[in-house]
Amino acid sequence: MTRDSAAPEVRVRDLTVVYKTPAGELPAVSGVSLTLTPGTITGVVGESGSGKSTLALSLLNAVQPPGRIAAGSVEIDGLGDVLHLGGEDLRRTRGRKVGYVFQAAQSSLNPLKTVGKQLLDLGRSHDVADLRALVADAKALLARMGLDGARVLDSHQHELSGGMRQRVGIMLALVLNAQVVVLDEPTTALDMITQATILRIIREVHEERALTTLVITHDVGAVAEVADDLAVMYGGRVVEHGPIAEVLGTPRHPYTQGLIRAIPRLSGDISLARALPGRPPTLGTLPVAGCVFRERCDKRMEICETVEPETVTYDGRTVACHAAGRPAPVKRREYA
Amino acid sequence: MITGTAITKTFKQRGNVLGKREVPALRGVDFAIPKGGAVSFIGESGCGKTTLGRIIAGLETYDSGEIVIDGTPMSSLTHRNRQPYYRRIQLIHQDPYSALNPTRTIHQTLEAPLRLRARQTGRSKAWCDVRAEELLDLVGIDPGYVLPRYPHQLSGGMRQRVVIARALTMDPEMLVADEAVSMIDVSLRLGILGLLRDLRERLGVSVLFITHDIATARYVGDEGELYVIYRGQVVERGPTETIIADPVHPYTQSLLSAIPVLHGLERPGAEQVVPTEALDEGQTDEGCLFSRRCPFSTARCESERPVLGHDGGESGEATVQLHACFHPRRRSVIPQGVGA
Amino acid sequence: MTVTVIPEMTAGTTRATLRRNFWRGVWRVLCRKPSRMAGVVIVLGFAVMGVIGPLLYPANLPRDDNALYAPPSLQHLFGTDFEGTDVLALVITGARYVLLTGLATAVITVALGTAIGLFAGFRRGRWDSALMRLTDLNLAIPGLPLLLVLSTVWKFTSPIEMGLVLGLLGWGGVARAVRSQTLSLRERGFIEAARGLGLPTRHIIGRELLPSMAPYIAMNMLIAVTGAVYAQVGLFFLGVLPFDANNWGVMLNLAVFSGGALTTPAALPYLLAPLLAILLLTLGIVLIVDAMDEIFNPRLREE
Repeated sequence: MTRDSAAPEVRVRDLTVVYKTPAGELPAVSGVSLTLTPGTITGVVGESGSGKSTLALSLLNAVQPPGRIAAGSVEIDGLGDVLHLGGEDLRRTRGRKVGYVFQAAQSSLNPLKTVGKQLLDLGRSHDVADLRALVADAKALLARMGLDGARVLDSHQHELSGGMRQRVGIMLALVLNAQVVVLDEPTTALDMITQATILRIIREVHEERALTTLVITHDVGAVAEVADDLAVMYGGRVVEHGPIAEVLGTPRHPYTQGLIRAIPRLSGDISLARALPGRPPTLGTLPVAGCVFRERCDKRMEICETVEPETVTYDGRTVACHAAGRPAPVKRREYA
Repeated sequence: MITGTAITKTFKQRGNVLGKREVPALRGVDFAIPKGGAVSFIGESGCGKTTLGRIIAGLETYDSGEIVIDGTPMSSLTHRNRQPYYRRIQLIHQDPYSALNPTRTIHQTLEAPLRLRARQTGRSKAWCDVRAEELLDLVGIDPGYVLPRYPHQLSGGMRQRVVIARALTMDPEMLVADEAVSMIDVSLRLGILGLLRDLRERLGVSVLFITHDIATARYVGDEGELYVIYRGQVVERGPTETIIADPVHPYTQSLLSAIPVLHGLERPGAEQVVPTEALDEGQTDEGCLFSRRCPFSTARCESERPVLGHDGGESGEATVQLHACFHPRRRSVIPQGVGA
Repeated sequence: MTVTVIPEMTAGTTRATLRRNFWRGVWRVLCRKPSRMAGVVIVLGFAVMGVIGPLLYPANLPRDDNALYAPPSLQHLFGTDFEGTDVLALVITGARYVLLTGLATAVITVALGTAIGLFAGFRRGRWDSALMRLTDLNLAIPGLPLLLVLSTVWKFTSPIEMGLVLGLLGWGGVARAVRSQTLSLRERGFIEAARGLGLPTRHIIGRELLPSMAPYIAMNMLIAVTGAVYAQVGLFFLGVLPFDANNWGVMLNLAVFSGGALTTPAALPYLLAPLLAILLLTLGIVLIVDAMDEIFNPRLREE
């Protein structure tokens, strides 16, 4: 196995992805800039319609019609701008350089073929010369994740539990030595204990193989467990981004604050948990001008109605909010 | 008040020529849900918590045992005579997308059960319309907006509120909420959970909350009771706050250890219990059901099955906390807030 | 990603409003693709033909002895037959029998199939087994040979009789499909909720299950029409039925076996005209089938 020791950096710049709808082209992701520091796990949290899955697909230049990448660039070290790749180059990139573990990986395996056959298909489509070595790598990876490789490769999808399928998904994403890995909702539909196991595996494999990892999820808890950095998406924008402990400890954007307040915890006064008012926007209900979050925001000002807040970076954290300069009202003590 | 004694249920799966494979879903479960109370069933998928909830809601049969609703044993009644009892226990489905008929407007969806209720209570048709608006108000959505709409025009949170409103048309004594928020956006979840809590306080409806997420159970009824179910057996049971803060069964402890820590806000618990095997690898029907996955298992655990009771507790004092473990020990596993 | 454009709605949710909204939705769905409109125009055209066609011509169509097998002309758009009768007139007057048979067949097929499938799927258990064996039996009946035998004793003078026989032979497939749909639908949350609320079975089947299967049933109905058209035209073409009624199948039979349309070009229009009618009818139906899903699914209808 040859592997570059340095994990690549991923730079997303001003990415805009639009979807064609009866009401015209509407942006699912608008003007997103996000840098994934080499060798870190970045978590992207957002609710349905926040654009997080669209963002993940853009890293592979795999946005499907009616969606279309309208502007921006996605640069990955050693690859250049992924959005300019096409045809064979693009296909080779997927899997070889960028591994993708699909949402509901539990059901993304072919039910008619054994895992081993699907592995060989993957190898052949990427012109892997030494298929034997590929199988050996796969077995090693599965063993690393606590599974009996030989048995798993001989199994059909229905013979594997949810947690095992998720591990198979991770194996397929990594077996071609991808250095950038995108995991879309890796723990949805898994039980608590299995989720903890998968999260631990993601963390360990990430460190051992020097990857740059992106975890997309709606579950702040799952991301908090594994990620180094956290990006919070709302209405197609990254509203806050920074080191995870800081973002969770002292959230600056009112949405992040509300989201954290809305998570019931096991310790502390449970009655302090508060629901966020309103509901997440859909493509059709996104406001055209001003801040996308203003309708649910408790710090709304006049300027929020008309001017979209700029993304401001200071002391290593970015936030897009007109009111963000003020001290955060969520005090740590609430969860003490 | 609804109580159950020694409820068992075995599913027969299609097997090979030699016969059907029997999968025990419930192995003699006792429960009691007081009027206006909050009870939560906690466990991994396949542990039997959903089956038990469906049995309680009258949607599934059970093999043996007895369910008593308001003093009337269900076994003494014919199927037809049981209906009025079960009508007062309404199930809230996990999936608000399939729980509403896509071809019917919310008005139609609420009208049918309300008409039935009006007939039962000798009310007029006009009452139905008034009641529909009342119920939607109660669950916190604007009747004028929702009534003429089809389910697909509503968000997941709104749909779940409509589902709850529909359950309330029968003036139920109890709501059985089966993973009622798992498919709803994170920022809206707490609203639904708060609604369940409100209904309990305002209408005196008891809530049976079935979930794998213990923290949400705490929000619905922190003064209620928690049942931890593992492979068809209640392994620990007691007041919600006690079980969360001071669990003694290793399975409860491993469930609580698995809950993610919000770094920056919390630090991990002092001790962590991690099962030695995955669920599907550690199946044994001999001795303690958890013995093969339990890090503290001994020879006794592998040959003898512990029953739910008080004995064996380290302090020996009478407590409301029950467990089924030979080696119970308190461990502090849950994350603690960082400024504490 | 889905976008819902919520149409203007008033507070009124009376039955009448709902019905009006439904038909407005149907119109929107049909307008969405020109092909659907074409389908509707074709099928409506045939319906008009079937209703008033025979009234346009005298009971005995005029014969023009000077123009046997005449080529298409302005006077005879599709030429004439062996007796000098206008082929177009024959096609138009023949439509009623064909269409009535098709309609009768479709109604019987769908009514029987849906009722049996629904009942079997909803009740399950013993009823299900019994009804499904009956369905198997129905599917196992060799239709054509049976029809051939039947036609020796039964003249099928009325299109309804014809439709009855074809319908009784053809409900098996629909019953099977409806049953499996019912089985999967009854596990859906809203059916279970209806049962939990104690709503009567009548309501559950009529108001909850049936509307969810409406697109499916409507599609089957339309397809049954085309099936019935083929079947009867085939029977008449084979000549196993007496030529009592004017019928497209009879025309085909005469064109091929008496007119030698396969060898003499003179009789070709006589052959092609009924074929074209069948083709056009099928096309119209197929174009409409495409819209069924959107018509009966409120989400697709309103979008």
